[in-house]
Parts: sequence; C-alpha cells; structure tokens
Amino acid sequence: MKITLTVNGDDVALDVEPRRILADVLREDCRLTGTHLGCEQGVCGACTVLVDGEAVRSCLMLAVQCDGRSVRTVEGLSGADGEPHPLQLAFSAEHALQCGFCTPGFLMAAVAALEADPGAGAGDERVRALVESNLCRCTGYEPIRRAITRAAARLAARPGA
Amino acid sequence: MEGWSRREDERLLGGRGRYVADIAVPGCLDAVFVRSPIAHGLLREVRCDAAREVAGVSGAWSAADLSDLPSCAPSTAYLRDLPPVPYTGVARLSTKDAVAGREWPSLARDRVRYAGEAVAVVVGDDRYAAEDGAGLVTCRIDPLPAVVTPAESATDEVRLYDGLGNVAFQAAAGRPIEDHVWRRAAVVVEAAYRQQLLMPTPMECRTILAVPGDDRLTVWAGHQMPHRLRRELAATLGWPADRIRVVVPDTGGAFGSKSPTFPEFVVVAFLAVKLGRPVRWIEDRMESLLAATRGRGQDQRVRLAADAEGRLLAYELRIDADVGAYPHLAVGLPLQTALMATGPYLTPEVHATVRSMLTTTMVTYPYRGAGRPEATIALERTMDTLAHRLGIDPAELRRRNFIPPDAFPYTTPTGRCYDSGDYAAALDLALRTAGYDDWKAERERRRADPGALPLGIGVSCYVERSGGEPGALHEFAAVEAREDGSILATCGASATGQSHETTFAALVAESLGVDERRVLLVEGDTEELPEGVGSFASRSAQVAGGALKQACDLLVAAARERAAGLWELPVEEVAWSDGALHPARGASAAMGLAELVKVTGPLRVDGRFESGMAFPFGAHVAVAEVDPELGTVNVLRVVAVDDCGVALNPAAVRGQALGSAVQGIGQALYEGIPYDGDGVPMLPWGLLDYLIPTAAEVPPITIAETSTPSPVTPLGAKGAGESGCIGTPAAIVNAVADALRLDDPGLLQTPLTPDVVWRAAHTRRQEAPR
Amino acid sequence: MKPVPFDYVAPRTVRQAVEALGDPSREARVLAGGQSLIMEMRLRRATPRLVVDINRVGGLGRLTVSAQGTGGAQETGAHGTGGVLEVGALVRHAAFERPGAVPGPLGRLFALAAAEIAHPPIRARGTMAGSLAWAHPASEWCALAVALDAVLVLDAVDGARAVAARDFFLGPHLTAREARELLTLVRFPLLADGTGVAFAEHRRTCFSFAQVAVAAAVTLRDGVVEDARIGLANCADRPVRARLAERSLIGAEIGPPGARPAAGHPFARAGAVAAERDAGPVPEPYADPDYRRHVAAVLVRRALREAAADAERRPEGVDR
Repeated sequence: MKITLTVNGDDVALDVEPRRILADVLREDCRLTGTHLGCEQGVCGACTVLVDGEAVRSCLMLAVQCDGRSVRTVEGLSGADGEPHPLQLAFSAEHALQCGFCTPGFLMAAVAALEADPGAGAGDERVRALVESNLCRCTGYEPIRRAITRAAARLAARPGA
Repeated sequence: MEGWSRREDERLLGGRGRYVADIAVPGCLDAVFVRSPIAHGLLREVRCDAAREVAGVSGAWSAADLSDLPSCAPSTAYLRDLPPVPYTGVARLSTKDAVAGREWPSLARDRVRYAGEAVAVVVGDDRYAAEDGAGLVTCRIDPLPAVVTPAESATDEVRLYDGLGNVAFQAAAGRPIEDHVWRRAAVVVEAAYRQQLLMPTPMECRTILAVPGDDRLTVWAGHQMPHRLRRELAATLGWPADRIRVVVPDTGGAFGSKSPTFPEFVVVAFLAVKLGRPVRWIEDRMESLLAATRGRGQDQRVRLAADAEGRLLAYELRIDADVGAYPHLAVGLPLQTALMATGPYLTPEVHATVRSMLTTTMVTYPYRGAGRPEATIALERTMDTLAHRLGIDPAELRRRNFIPPDAFPYTTPTGRCYDSGDYAAALDLALRTAGYDDWKAERERRRADPGALPLGIGVSCYVERSGGEPGALHEFAAVEAREDGSILATCGASATGQSHETTFAALVAESLGVDERRVLLVEGDTEELPEGVGSFASRSAQVAGGALKQACDLLVAAARERAAGLWELPVEEVAWSDGALHPARGASAAMGLAELVKVTGPLRVDGRFESGMAFPFGAHVAVAEVDPELGTVNVLRVVAVDDCGVALNPAAVRGQALGSAVQGIGQALYEGIPYDGDGVPMLPWGLLDYLIPTAAEVPPITIAETSTPSPVTPLGAKGAGESGCIGTPAAIVNAVADALRLDDPGLLQTPLTPDVVWRAAHTRRQEAPR
Repeated sequence: MKPVPFDYVAPRTVRQAVEALGDPSREARVLAGGQSLIMEMRLRRATPRLVVDINRVGGLGRLTVSAQGTGGAQETGAHGTGGVLEVGALVRHAAFERPGAVPGPLGRLFALAAAEIAHPPIRARGTMAGSLAWAHPASEWCALAVALDAVLVLDAVDGARAVAARDFFLGPHLTAREARELLTLVRFPLLADGTGVAFAEHRRTCFSFAQVAVAAAVTLRDGVVEDARIGLANCADRPVRARLAERSLIGAEIGPPGARPAAGHPFARAGAVAAERDAGPVPEPYADPDYRRHVAAVLVRRALREAAADAERRPEGVDR
C-alpha cells in the first residue's frame, strides 16, 4: 500500500505491506532507529512516538493507519539548530537513563504530555502518572520523575510560555 | 559533552544510540527459531518443507537438515554438523563432570528438555517473512513427564539423560556441624525457603548480528564478555580466535544475563559462515520470557543456633537448586551461595551444601546478585525469626554478631577471606536514615488500634563478593598516547548501561593528569584489545578500573624512559606532572605526551591486572504496611546503605543502587515464573504476566553510603550495582513478617503476591490464642 | 512477534465496514483502538486475512445522552431515569476520564473504572466497544455492561440487532457477535441522580490485569437500600452481574454512614453471597478460586460501603 507519513516534519512516501507495524516502518524504512522495541505488545512503552501530537505505542499501530498523519520520533525532539530539548538535558542532569533503551519512549511520552498541557509537569501526581505508563529496568524511575519535573519547570519559565 | 552529565547521554537521548537491531547491513537475513511447545519429550520429526516455500524465506532447517547444508565457500566445507553449545568453565560456574554425557545441542536433535527449546531455524528477508515460515514448521514430539522442581528431580523417577542421574553437581562449604551444637543451643530456628526463578528482563532482549567476509566473521552482540564470545564462537567453528571480531555496541541492559554463548548465537554464526551471508537474531519479548536464562532457583533449608544472649553458634544451609535442563552454564552457581553463607556474622560454625538438580526448564544463569541474594535472604530472614524468638530487637541481634572492623582480613568458616568492613556503621546509618525508632513507635501505635493496617519493619544486612572468582580476577587494559594529543584508553570491560565511557575516561584523565576531554574510552571491541575478560560479578570499577590505572602508570613510566633517553638524563630525573614530562635539570623544556609521540613514535602500553576478591556490604531497611484482608503489601519506605569502598563515580553508583533496589522489590513482591502441570511457563500475556515493578510500585527509596576502602585493589574500589538485589528482598519480606507477627518464616515464600500474604495472615489468625 | 499478512481496508461508512466484514472467507477483524487486536495479531493468536479499520468511519466517535434510546432492546431499571447514554464504537477509554463527559452517577462510575484500565497511552487509543468485543474476563467495561444492563448494537449488511449485555458474553474472548457484525454502539441507561457509585479493583501491579474488580451502584431511601447493581470482573469465565447479592440487599437497612460494616452487615452479607453464589472463578496463577472468592467478598463489601457513602454525599436533586 502506498502511504505518506509526515515524519519529524518531512513528508515521506512509502510503499508498505498493510501488516507492517509503525515502529518497524520507522526503524527499517525510515531508518529512524531511536524508536526501540522492548516488548512488541504495548506494555513497556519504549516505542512511544507522537501521532498527530498524541503519544502512542508504535508497536500497536499499523503504518497504514497513519497515512496522511504526522509522526514525531525522538530524532525530531531537538530544535532545528540542534539545540537539545529541555527534556533531554534534564534526563542527563538527573541521571534518568542508564542503558538508554527505554529512554526515547519516556521522552516522547513526556513531551506529548508537556506540549498538550504545560501544567502536566507541575503537579507531582501528574508526572507520576506519566512515568507509570512505561517500563524501565535500570533507573528505578525516581530520576525519570525528577527529570520530567525539572524540564517542566524549565519550559514553564521560558519567555512566552 | 557540554550540558551532558555522561558521555553516553547525547547519543542515547537523541535517538542516535546504536544497538544491534539498529545496525543496517545490506542483504542481512533475519533468523527466527521454532520452539518446542512441550517441556520434555522425544523429538520424532521436524518438517520444514512448507516453510521453505514461503515468499521471502531463504532457508529453514532442523538440526538434521543442517548436516546436509552445502557451504557457499569451499573454505567452510569442513563445517558439517551444527556445533553444540560451548561449555564454559569461567568462574567455576560449571564442571567437566557435570557436562559429561549431557551435551546441549544448539538445535534439539532427538529430545527436547525445556519448553521453548529451539527445534528449527528459519531465515528470511525480514522478521515478518521468517515468522511466516516458522509458522509452517511442524514437529512431532512424544511427551515425557516434565520435572519442574528440585524435589521431583531428586527422585530420579524421570531422568533427563538416559543412564545419568539428575544431580549434576554437588559441593559443600565449611565443616559439618555436630549434633551437640544444636542440642546445647538456647534457640534453634529451622526454616525452608524457596528462591523463585526470575527473568532478568533487560529492556533489550538478546541480540546478535554475524557478518562474514574474507574468511572472517564480525559479530555484533549485546554482550558482557566480548572476548569470551569470540573465543567460544571460534572454538565452535574450529577457527583461530583472530578470525572473529566481536563488537558490543550500545546494549539495553544485561543484569548478568548476557555473557554466555547462547544456542541461538551458535546457530546464527554457523549459518552466516555456511551461507556466506549476514544473519541476525533479534530476540523478541515473548521468546525471551520462554527461552532466555533465568536467575535464582533454589530450595533451601536452614538451621540457625544461638545462645540465650543471641550469640550465633552455628548455621547450616542446605541448597537444592533447580538449574534447568542443561548443565553447561551455571550448574555450579549455587556454590556462590554456599561460600557466602556465613554473611557478616562471627558464627563459629557454618556448613552449606549444594545439590544442583536438572529440571525440564530453561537453564538458570547469573542474574544480578548471582548466588549472593540467595545467601543473604536465607540468613537474614532467619535472623529476624531468631530475634523474635529471643525477644531481642533485630537490629541489636545483628550488632551483637557482626564481624568487628578490626577482625579483617577475616576468613569465614565457609572459606571466604573478607577484605574489609564496618558492618555496624552501615546498619547504624541505615537505621538513623530510616528513622527506625519512629517507625517502631508507629508500629506499636497501630498494634493497639484495631482499625489500623498493621505495619512492619524489616532489616537486612549483607556482605557480598565482587571482582570474580580465582582464575577470573584479572582484566586487560591499554592506554595509548597519540600525536594529536588525545589518549585512547581501552579495557576488557563491556558496559550495558553502567556509564563506563564517562567513569573510565575520567579515571584515565585523573591518573594521567590530563584534561578529560582528551581521553577517548573504547570498550567492547575485540579488535582494539587482544584479550579481555568482561563485565560481571560487579567487577568493572574494581578490576577494569584497576587495570586502567595500572596501564596509566605504565604509560607514564614508559614516557619517562623515552624522555630520559631523549634528554640523556637518568630516568629518576624525569618528572611527570600535569600530563607532561619535566626534566629535573638542563635546558630542555617540559614536553607533553603528544610531542613525545611525535618525536619518538607511537606509544601504547598494554597491561594485565590481577585484583583480589573484594567484599562490599551494607544494610537495608524496609517499612511496609499490609492489608491483611486482601494480602496487599504497601512498601512505605526503603533505605539502602551500601559500602562499595571508594566509588569512582558516585552518581553512577547511586543510580545502580536505586535500580538494583527496585529489582530487589520486584523479586520480593512481584516477579516469578509459574509453570503449569506440563512444565510450561504460564506467561501468556508476556509482560502483563511477568510483572516487573512500574513506577507505581516504587516506594520512597533513600540511597546512602559508607565507604570502607578495599585493601586488595589500588583504587580502593569494591564492586557496586548488585546490592539492591542482595539486600532489599529480605528487608521487605522481614517487614511483612513483622507486620503480620509471623513466627513461621516458611509461610511467606516469594514473590509475596497478595494470595501468599493473605494465606499467611489467615494462618496466623487461626493460630492466635484469642 | 509480527502479524500474518492481511488485506486492509479503511471504510468511511458503517455500510462499507459491514460489507467488508460480510465475506466469511476472509476471517475479518475490526480494528478500532487496536490495543488488544494488534497485540493478539503480533502473538499470532489472531490471524485475520482482512483488517477493517473503522477509525475513519464518520459518527462512531460520538458520546451522547438522549432522553430515550433510538430503538433496540431498551431496558430501564428501577434506578434508570429514562435517559440513555450512547457510546459510539470509537469512543476511547480516556474520553470517560474527562470531567463531565458523562453526566451524573454513571459519569462518576465510568471515570473511576476508566482510570483503572491499563495506563494513559493505552487509554488514549483503546475503546470501550473494543474492550466489550474482546471480552477479556477481567475487563472493567464488560463488568459494567452486565451490571448496568447495557445494550450492544450490532450492525450487519442485512440490518442491525441489539443484544443485551447479559446475553452478549459467552466466555473468555467469546461473544454473541458474529464475525460479520460490527459493534457500532453501546447504550447504557443513565443512573438516577442520587445513586451512589464505586469501583474497586485489586491487581498485582499497576500494569497487570485485575485479579478481581467490582463495580457497585446503590440507591438508598432513608437508610434502606432501594436498588443495587453489582458487577464482577475476573470472577468467572465472563463478566458477572451479582444478582443474588443485589437481591440480598434490597430493603436492607445499612445503618449509620461511615461505620465499618461488621460481619453481619448487609454489605458484608452481600459480599459473601456474591463470592459464594454469583462468582465462579477459574484457576489462575497467584489467584486460585478460593482466594479470588475471598477478594470478591471483600471488594463487594468495600465497594458497597463506598457507594453508600457516595450516595449520602449526593442527596437526590443536587447531583450534577
């Protein structure tokens, strides 16, 4: 099937089998390998990407379902000038990653929440709910929670925010 | 580096990490394994014909089919049958006796011995096609009875290997304890514990990519021991090791589980060589839960004797371990438990015995802690029961029995020589940090209030071993000064998330007195270093760190000698400071390493460093409340005080400690592998059934540390990273037992799922006098 | 874990969708949220030859309240108001978490239940109708559907039929829906103002299926139970409405609010009846039938107590 995805702002024309999973198409066809597959059953969240701004498990979506839609991956997180996203810097500052395999999923879940609702990082409970959506086996989660809180504060303090 | 705490972070946070599955190799085939749905049976037939007809499938083979596989190149024609899984003797994990007559075929030949054992392999243009093919492979298996528990195995009623018994390994540590010791003791606590099987569950499953070319093979794998993998694959193929290059790119966690040469690895390497094409295997989660190595797996019986004041007199630990179907890998691992049975106490007599029993399950193998959690949990749970029987505060009981700081080096009755320690200091800090007395008051308040949920406090003190076992206490490292002023450092360790690039680069920079930005750290590439050992047994900082430090010292010595020659000075008159050589006299100016290399040629030193065993220790405290009606456990607080000597990178050590503690919570409360009556794991919904802790399950955890340097390594560093799995589980179980005021520790077997806790609470209520 | 090959259509109308489902040779499956279907396809437990993606069908995302349902097997319980909630096939779990999405006690109950389903990214995609069609015995929505007399509207090429929830669930992942039918709409009678509601769920971790979950709705008059609804999840091979337990409550005096129900209290009695007579749990790891019956009894008691407290807090007429 011929489809067009807008991936990190670029239109990409693809010819894919209907059964191909969005995550595989991003990784293999678009060569965007920052989206990782940790369970392929929607549980771990390592494959989280944004589809039309909403965080989804890309292992539980068919690429053909996204025809004409906009997909954002971890590769599209930094600014146009290569400036790191505040979430990326906050994850580093708080040691919120070790092996880094689950990290893109946490970043994308967090960016979706913070962009949809800049207040999402403010209340502890909401950050907690966000962190509870994905699995990490290395960090014990607390550094991830701190990183999102830190980035949210940073984003809220931005001029024009 | 600007703005990033770790060197690894910029690429990993930008989606530019490179894990094996991210590596694109043109023409690469994806391998998929067809796995036995039956735990134990005679394999009568495997038919792959239909699979070969599937579009996109380029081959499908059973073990027998592979004997006929023609080689694409004459140079590999000598390779006929698929080689078996290589046996390894590293760290006494296995023995020749255990393995004799019990070969592990890389694909099952005439018998399957665990559910998930591979019976055929299918390769295709991608994983989709290969799975299509795998779905059409049929096999006929005549079932035999499954043997899941050590007790079933011990009877030898069902034998896994014809003509051989199921006990594959036996060992003991310490001397048997005479009856009168038990008879004369004021108190003897007896208990039985099950240390359940666990899945290490790194977020990235197992991976291998094998690329043949020019009579060589390049292998990328998520792995802890690249040189071992190279050595074993070479032996498997009948090649000299230098024809294989193993590269470990970014790896998504390992926790001890990624150091063997798995059966699937042998098949992939064999196929790549025979077909002359790149082949990769990217394990998925469902097959990982079925067929990746498990950790733990011990049935334990203990006896602990004390006098009326609580001084320990004797401790006996009997281990019946279920080690899975093939004894090649870690059949001797339970010996680690026996050797560490003494714990941090001055118990005069300790005797620990091990029987490793074959069962029709996937093999057990090291998982974070690897033998030490089993030792600590058995002892520390029993200590709490003893404290309750004697009416002594559990913390006080431990204090009375600790090996004192001035007793080191201390040789235990089970044959370990502890290097250094201050066990009471760690316990005191843990109790203070947790607010032990306040929690005790809260516990009493709740005991008086029938409407309050019961609360309990659990303590667990541990001593563990880091660095490895004799024969594997060494590591290799090299440091090279280059003309452009950079320093290339490399060592045999292999990071799977532990920040080596950052920590070791800083260590090298500090050792040489140069700017950290000049140092490049390369690991996990056998081409960069002729020999290496790897990362396991909490050894990287202690052993590889020591090797890098030594290599730096050797580099400085070599540089001074060269400068001495250049300046025609005796070497004693060439000083080294701030990364430069300084002549003590004469007209010459100081010279940096880059200039020295420009003038005198390449300068690289390779070194081998031998460490002693080190013994990290600590004390963990957990507070939990229990809803006895439902059996739910709500952990309110965990404090983990660990002592790993000198921490090279305190932030990395704390990160490891926290993550490890959460894995310890998983072990105590959530993780386990239930088997059905036919010996098949019951995890039909994958990670919705094998439950690792989510953020919702993580209580407030405080990590704190004491620092008692190790005298056996030049850096004073002991191992770190496994402490949470070792110390935390018993603290949590003890807290639950305390909340329920249980006297019989056997009522609580991990994981403490709500039904287990409910039954324990229910039993206690029935037994209660009122 | 990759799906088998299949054809894919994304119809724009219900008519097109049911026509696509109508060919029995293609073992078609309906893709809505996909959070369970694609998982099952990856496990190759679902192997359709055609996937009908209804996400582009207009009108299925509606969540509406009408004075009366638009036909079908209407059933209005004693505490119904005659108003009906209609949930389209594409209404996601997350829709019910938004305050005011559904009015009154039904809205409160749905919000409580929705918050127990998986986690936010799954709730943003997964649908109520999809959960009902999947019919996992532990599903929160399935328990609510049977407890609250939901009606499921199934469309096919030859017309629509309405099936009461009590007749819909036939076993684990087994329903009265035929493969050629599309579950387009679910109707719930609204709960009368003043109804107290509660949802209690017991599970091993934040990610696991419920070991037991209980939905409760009670109406009280002067401290006496006038009506009660109790739904049980994962207490049998299908969702259970605890009718015997409900019956044991009608006319019972529940005493002063807030008190911890003693053993003989009607709520505790109802819990025991639900556990012993309504529930029929099947064995599963870490929760054998004895344990699950016990948990059901506790959760029914607790849910009823919470529902009664909820009712006390919201006397009739001020429930908005």
